[in-house]
Amino acid sequence: MAADATASPQEQLDAALLAFESALPQVSSETQLYDLQVQFLGKNGAVTKLRSLMGKVPPAQRKELGQAFNRVKQAIDEGLAGRKLALAQAARELDLSRHVDLTFVPDPPRPGTLHPITQTRRELEQVFRRLGFDVVDGPHVEAELYSFDKLNIQPDHPARDMQDTFFIARPEHDPREGAPSLVLRPHTSPVQARTMLRYGAPVRIIAPGTTFRRDDDPTHSPMFHQIEGLYVDRNVTMADLKATLYRFVGAFFGEGLAVRFRPSYFPFVEPGAEFDMQCAFCFDGQVSHGCGLCKQSGWIELGGSGMVHPAVLEQCGIDPTVYTGWAFGFGIDRMAMLRHGISHLRHNFEGDLRVLEQFTSP
Amino acid sequence: MLLSCTWLSELLGRPLDVSPPFRADDPFSAVNIAARLTNLGLEVEGIEYFELPKIIVGRVDEVTPHPDASKLNIVQLFDGARTIQVVCGASNLPPVGGKVAFAPVGAVLPDGLELSERELRGVVSNGMICSETELRIGSDGEGILVLPREWEPGALLQDLVPGIRDAVIEISVTPNRPDALGHLGVARDLALALGCELTLPAVPVPVPDTAKAMPELVTLEAGDRCPRYLGYALEDCSVGASPLWLRVRLHRVGLRARNNVVDVTNLVLFETGQPMHAFDRQRLDGERVVVRTATAGEPITTLDGIKLELSDDDLVIADAKAPQALAGVMGGEGSMVGEGTTRLLLEVAFFEPRAIRRSARRYALRTDSSHRFERQVDFAGQLELAAARAVSLLHQISGARCVAYCDAQAKLPVPAPITLDPDHVGRLLGMDIAADEIARILQGLGVTLDQSNAQAWRCEPPSFRPDLGRNVDLIEEVMRHHGLDELPARHSSSPEELMVLPEDPVRRLADALTDGLRANDLHEHVSLAFTAEDQAMLFASEAEPPRSPDDFQPTQLVRPVNPMRLQQGCMRPHLLPGLLDAVAYNLGRHTRALGLFEVGRVYLWPLTSDQAAEPTGPTAEIDRCLPTEPYRAAAIRAQRASGSAPAGELARAVTRDLSAALARVGLHAQLRAPAQPRTWLHPGVQVGLWIGDRQVGVAGELHPDLLAARDLSEHELGYGELWLEALPPLPTVQFADVARFPGTTRDLSLDLDQRISSAAVLAALTSAAADSGSSTDDPPRLANADEPRRPIELIEDYRGAGVEAGRHALLLRLNYRAGQRSVTDAEVQALHDKVVAGALEQLTRVDPAARVR
Ligand SMILES: [Zn+2]
Repeated sequence: MAADATASPQEQLDAALLAFESALPQVSSETQLYDLQVQFLGKNGAVTKLRSLMGKVPPAQRKELGQAFNRVKQAIDEGLAGRKLALAQAARELDLSRHVDLTFVPDPPRPGTLHPITQTRRELEQVFRRLGFDVVDGPHVEAELYSFDKLNIQPDHPARDMQDTFFIARPEHDPREGAPSLVLRPHTSPVQARTMLRYGAPVRIIAPGTTFRRDDDPTHSPMFHQIEGLYVDRNVTMADLKATLYRFVGAFFGEGLAVRFRPSYFPFVEPGAEFDMQCAFCFDGQVSHGCGLCKQSGWIELGGSGMVHPAVLEQCGIDPTVYTGWAFGFGIDRMAMLRHGISHLRHNFEGDLRVLEQFTSP
Repeated sequence: MLLSCTWLSELLGRPLDVSPPFRADDPFSAVNIAARLTNLGLEVEGIEYFELPKIIVGRVDEVTPHPDASKLNIVQLFDGARTIQVVCGASNLPPVGGKVAFAPVGAVLPDGLELSERELRGVVSNGMICSETELRIGSDGEGILVLPREWEPGALLQDLVPGIRDAVIEISVTPNRPDALGHLGVARDLALALGCELTLPAVPVPVPDTAKAMPELVTLEAGDRCPRYLGYALEDCSVGASPLWLRVRLHRVGLRARNNVVDVTNLVLFETGQPMHAFDRQRLDGERVVVRTATAGEPITTLDGIKLELSDDDLVIADAKAPQALAGVMGGEGSMVGEGTTRLLLEVAFFEPRAIRRSARRYALRTDSSHRFERQVDFAGQLELAAARAVSLLHQISGARCVAYCDAQAKLPVPAPITLDPDHVGRLLGMDIAADEIARILQGLGVTLDQSNAQAWRCEPPSFRPDLGRNVDLIEEVMRHHGLDELPARHSSSPEELMVLPEDPVRRLADALTDGLRANDLHEHVSLAFTAEDQAMLFASEAEPPRSPDDFQPTQLVRPVNPMRLQQGCMRPHLLPGLLDAVAYNLGRHTRALGLFEVGRVYLWPLTSDQAAEPTGPTAEIDRCLPTEPYRAAAIRAQRASGSAPAGELARAVTRDLSAALARVGLHAQLRAPAQPRTWLHPGVQVGLWIGDRQVGVAGELHPDLLAARDLSEHELGYGELWLEALPPLPTVQFADVARFPGTTRDLSLDLDQRISSAAVLAALTSAAADSGSSTDDPPRLANADEPRRPIELIEDYRGAGVEAGRHALLLRLNYRAGQRSVTDAEVQALHDKVVAGALEQLTRVDPAARVR
């Protein structure tokens, strides 16, 4: 915009202001606003240049022209500021008018999972740790001595038939005449023997782990998992065993479930008993009314238990006249199946993705 | 063991309610008897009820052949009130006047069939003449059941024969209770529990006074193996079918009737738990028996026709020449009682249990006899009772007369008296039980008590309870009969301090890596620890000495002696076969991509040369003889191959899974070539995971041959594993100060032979940087970037347009910073130029064409 050289300074100022005011509404961005500011108020801006006219007017008019000049500049500043604010508001409103559908998101990646047997074993370990038990394991290939003899299961005794056991051959390169006969442990009880031999009494442990028996049918797998508990100390009683099992069942399955014993026989305990818990799956807080899982009986068989046989204590270097103890054991796999309602044992070991991926856990 | 309630009721001296629906409040109903048995430790498996409400005795009045069927007869049958016409096809129909079991119209047979009037080839039949099997009272289905002529027509069959109406309870008897393997032992427990008097089996005709002792009848050579042998010589035996009550009784407990002699021995066996055997004395050489061990290789043919070659550990009952029975297990064919036998030698013996068990196992002959002998039978009162009962019944049923006997004895067991402090019962159980109650229970079970010392009772267990040897055994008996319902749940208190046992670090590491692998999108699999021999051998190597922890030689495989199947012939030396099985299982059932992991043990015998950590402690002697069971953590990923040659994506993903799992426990693995290429991985797609100078694992793509063998060629599989025993102990993190001054980066693109790995490039750059020392104080160095936390970042491994075949372009970003100041562009550029030049100098030695792009 060229200044009209014939116009008076006042007129030129008015014209500049007019030009500014007509340009201002066209501005739609901060950069344009900045360009407009430079165009009028920059070093070579239209208004700035008019300042040089000051020297060309008579001194008497200078004051008036100065005031006019300031008025125009102020008007432009205000116009710029107002426009800037309006632009920011418009931008904010535009931003606020966005709408994104956050119910439409890609599926989260499927989380990795822990096997239900691992989950159950860990939860059992946690509960028993809280009850003051240490967790111990031992070798899977174990001496017959620790698997049977030290547990009061004598050679050629029918009690050996209570579990059909895998025997392990010595390697060709190291036959070792007279080496101890080895088995795949049919229960985790050898861990009890080892722990008593190593640490003596008092001792309080659980031994969770992998076990093996020569069984393979819809309800038995040649490999399975067991957990056993052992407490040897002075004054240990069967009532203490009941109290411990009661607390365990309460912590694992829910408070208030009763525990009962039925006399039975396991060679390493005497007296021996099977223990049942009130069915947690049809329990109303008082009574278990019966369901499919407890075969309508209201009770679920959990495992075997009893007072450690004095012969076992003797074999493991503990004086049975000073110490007594109890032991219990049950299957982890079955516990996992009960908890999760797993319908068939084979699901445990086939590795079917569609089965495994269900077992998300914290 | 099957228990007949009818039989039990005779021994309990009172009737039991054997038919459903039972009355819940009747303690003598079968269902409550069953509950009682379970509470006594004789666990009940099930109850079955039997009855024949409408089956009657029928009299054959007239038999005429069916006009239109040669095998059928028309029988006019008198049912006590009227004559009924029945069509019958049996060939053993008795002559007129004979009695048969008749199911009239309206009767329901045990299999559920309700009889109605029907026509058989034009002739009306009003009911059916039945066989034993149809009535479920015997196993003879050959012909109809012919009843004694003297029985009244019209009488209900089940009123005439005890045991037709019955409840049969199946119990499982634990190995400590041989006494409960006969009805008498179970009845003894029940009598005490129910408060009845035990009635011993009747001996109506005792061994006659005229029978004379005949020492030569039995020669006891192996007295240590047979401490007592009662032999009876019987004459005038008439072998034939047993009376119906006896056949029914045997059938109820699951036995097949043979002939009256064998049936009597079986009856007494199931009554008293005492097995016995009858020889045809006529067929015994010398008419006598010798109890001796067999000579090795001596032959015998058993009753059921099996030829055995005996071992010198077997006990036999021989005649003057040859073995006639494998003692306590099974009789021989040669002296078997059969039709025409008139003279018997009846054996009632006590054999040493362990040897019987060895013989039975040696020939896999588990019989009702061996089952009881190996659990130990009574050697005194009950043995004598069983003998007298059998002799008496044989006389009654077969007419046999006992003419001579021999009681050959060697050293009999002497049950030691047990000292019991009655207070100890309550102390062990944690509940109070009165001394009177303890005495009542023990005496009720046949224990002789001397209570003169109130704190030390002298208890003599009966000879039929070999399981009662220590005071805890008596406490168990008290517990069984007193019941555990009142047992409180009460913690005991001990004055001693429990020690805290050390944690097993490997177990902890295994759990941590399990969590680490699971934190990727992998699913934990648990596979059976067995594998097939050929699968195991895929991983065997001949390297001697082993060059990495997973190396093993074929002889190191751990093998069960008695695997269940060939595919489980050895313990896994490697986790891959089990994971591959799971992958194959999945790929056969769905098309989804798959990622599995497993953390578990493998099993290997140590080489004699490498005795690993020497075991210590009280179990060391055993531990030295065990195989090693190192843990492995393995991951596998599989997906359908895309068509073009796989780019190793899954192998990379698995490598990353393992590195990430290690990073989660604070270990940082470097990737470089494995110490030794694994033959089961693709030769060009495998990598070692290293911590320092130890290889701790390996990963890669499965070898195409292995995939082909598994029929998985259509798939891409990445596998990797960590060897837990090679991992260093988990570090405790040491804090490092946070970098406060910014660094700067330089990108570098190299053109290299494809066999030059990025690991080699990283090594070259790192060593070049280390060599380019500077005199300045606090010079710029290659240093960890903020993201990722590494000095050199691998950005791309590019193959394709612009890069020659067989070569790749590696794009890297190098991070430089100084410790306590900001760096300038110029000094970093100078350092970077030096580093690149130094690295290229090393790389051109292996690849002369190596250059900066
Ligand atoms: Zn239930």
